[in-house]
Amino acid sequence: MSGSHSVRRPDLGLIALKVYVVAFFAFLMAPIVVVVIYSFSDMAYTTWPITDLSLRWYQRMLEYRPFMSSLAFSLQVAVAAAVLSILIGVPAALALARSGSRYAEAVMTFLLAPLSMPMILLGVALLYYLSWMGLGVSKLSVVLGHTVVSLPYIIRTVAAVYIQSGRSQEEAATILGAGRWQVFWHVTLPMVRAGILAGAIFAMLISLDNLPISFFFAGPDTNTLPVVMLAYQQNQFDPAIAAISTTQTVIAVIMLLIVQRLTGLHHIIGQKR
Amino acid sequence: MSLAESHTRPKRRVGWGLQGLGGTLPAVIFLIAFFVLPLVDNTINSFENDGSAAAIDNYVRLFTDSYYIEVIARTLWVSLLSTLICIVLGYPIAYYLVRHTEGSGAFLIFLLVAPLMTSIIMRTYGWQILLARNGPISNWLLDFGLIDRPLATLRSPVSVYFGVVHILVPYMVISIASVLQSVDRRLEEAALILGASRWRAFWRVTLPLSTAGIVTGSIIVFMLCNGSFLTMLLLGNGSVVTLPLLIYQQFILVNDAGFAATMGNVLLFLALACLYLQLRTVRGRGHV
Repeated sequence: MSGSHSVRRPDLGLIALKVYVVAFFAFLMAPIVVVVIYSFSDMAYTTWPITDLSLRWYQRMLEYRPFMSSLAFSLQVAVAAAVLSILIGVPAALALARSGSRYAEAVMTFLLAPLSMPMILLGVALLYYLSWMGLGVSKLSVVLGHTVVSLPYIIRTVAAVYIQSGRSQEEAATILGAGRWQVFWHVTLPMVRAGILAGAIFAMLISLDNLPISFFFAGPDTNTLPVVMLAYQQNQFDPAIAAISTTQTVIAVIMLLIVQRLTGLHHIIGQKR
Repeated sequence: MSLAESHTRPKRRVGWGLQGLGGTLPAVIFLIAFFVLPLVDNTINSFENDGSAAAIDNYVRLFTDSYYIEVIARTLWVSLLSTLICIVLGYPIAYYLVRHTEGSGAFLIFLLVAPLMTSIIMRTYGWQILLARNGPISNWLLDFGLIDRPLATLRSPVSVYFGVVHILVPYMVISIASVLQSVDRRLEEAALILGASRWRAFWRVTLPLSTAGIVTGSIIVFMLCNGSFLTMLLLGNGSVVTLPLLIYQQFILVNDAGFAATMGNVLLFLALACLYLQLRTVRGRGHV
């Protein structure tokens, strides 16, 4: 504590820092808050200032079929990619967390590598590759593409939780005569359940917001919500886009609150990308 | 994360996947099939053209045409400048979060992470409203007499920086904060007791000890900025054409697969260089 300094006079440096912190968070929240406000406006264009409030843009959002059908498709893709990621990612995370192999670190780096790739590159590359394989523009292609990006999130959270939890409980169960599968079902899985859920929800949020991969696979029945929103935003400038954005955010915040309840945010943000 | 030491590992199988890396096989195979091979395929495509020219023709075109060289240079420049802005804006926030929050810490971290949960389209739309000629910021500045005609920010590169920094600065804050957290504040106090001023203690003690956070944060921000195109597309209005945006435009307008693959490969090279730097800096600090 630098007590002797702050007792003598008001700490101008700290006051300046606090003012800056407020300004910074205002900057961070401003574009989000303004969209939420506009979603309740009554005007046909996004003009300032707002004079009347209404729910007409939420009505428009519900009536505009592409929004609703693409939202449904986006949710399906997010869930499918998360499930696929859990099926192949959880065994990988568990193995890596406890492996003594000197290759474990290299394998982990490889499995997390999709996070470092520019998404648009992945999108282009996957489109030509999957077309060559005969999958082309299909629902399966979108799910496969999103899984490539979801997988690292699952592996990272599950591995982090499993490393933290230590191995004494599993050893105790084994000493007490539990078989391998029994240990897995009754000890290991419950220990990492929160990590799986947190990773899955985070992966779904990333998937819901993904445009660069989905964009290349856009077709009559493979349009995800961000693809439809981008098209809408480029052609119309009315606040319907604000209403659907706000709805999407509400969904995301609810999911985030679930994660926070389950594990605490530090599991997610405490790690490096 | 520390991987288990091999000497203490019991010989007997305990738990799931203790014995080795077998469990990673499905994930590794999946990523080889749908991550590595597509990128290899992309590299092969980049050497293809209509057949009349040499195999490296696409690369010759990319690296000799002054327009494309400018695009590549601009991509790097925008990422570099955005990274610097993120350091300057983000450091004080990380410092405040680690050193000066008692009760409000969790709430501020929530505010910091909350934007990551909103779609990029939403945030871009927000900036379009805020920075518009007749938008709130322009109107207030006019009302207070600070400017004498409406802002033209939305048609200039400035709006791109607003958008990019807004999206990326939380990553910088988190990276710096996680390192600052482990800097012993008693070192700073010792400097103060020994007569250093607040600023001197900060510049000579705290800042040097937290450079690792700045470096990891910078690599993340630089890498993400290199790959982003939505902000450039919606906020730049053509004033900031970077590689990802050019790939997007080529795909929509020209559909020149070979050339798009070539530009993608340049992006891949940049990403791999960043990944390599990231691994080196992380390993240098002794943990993964």
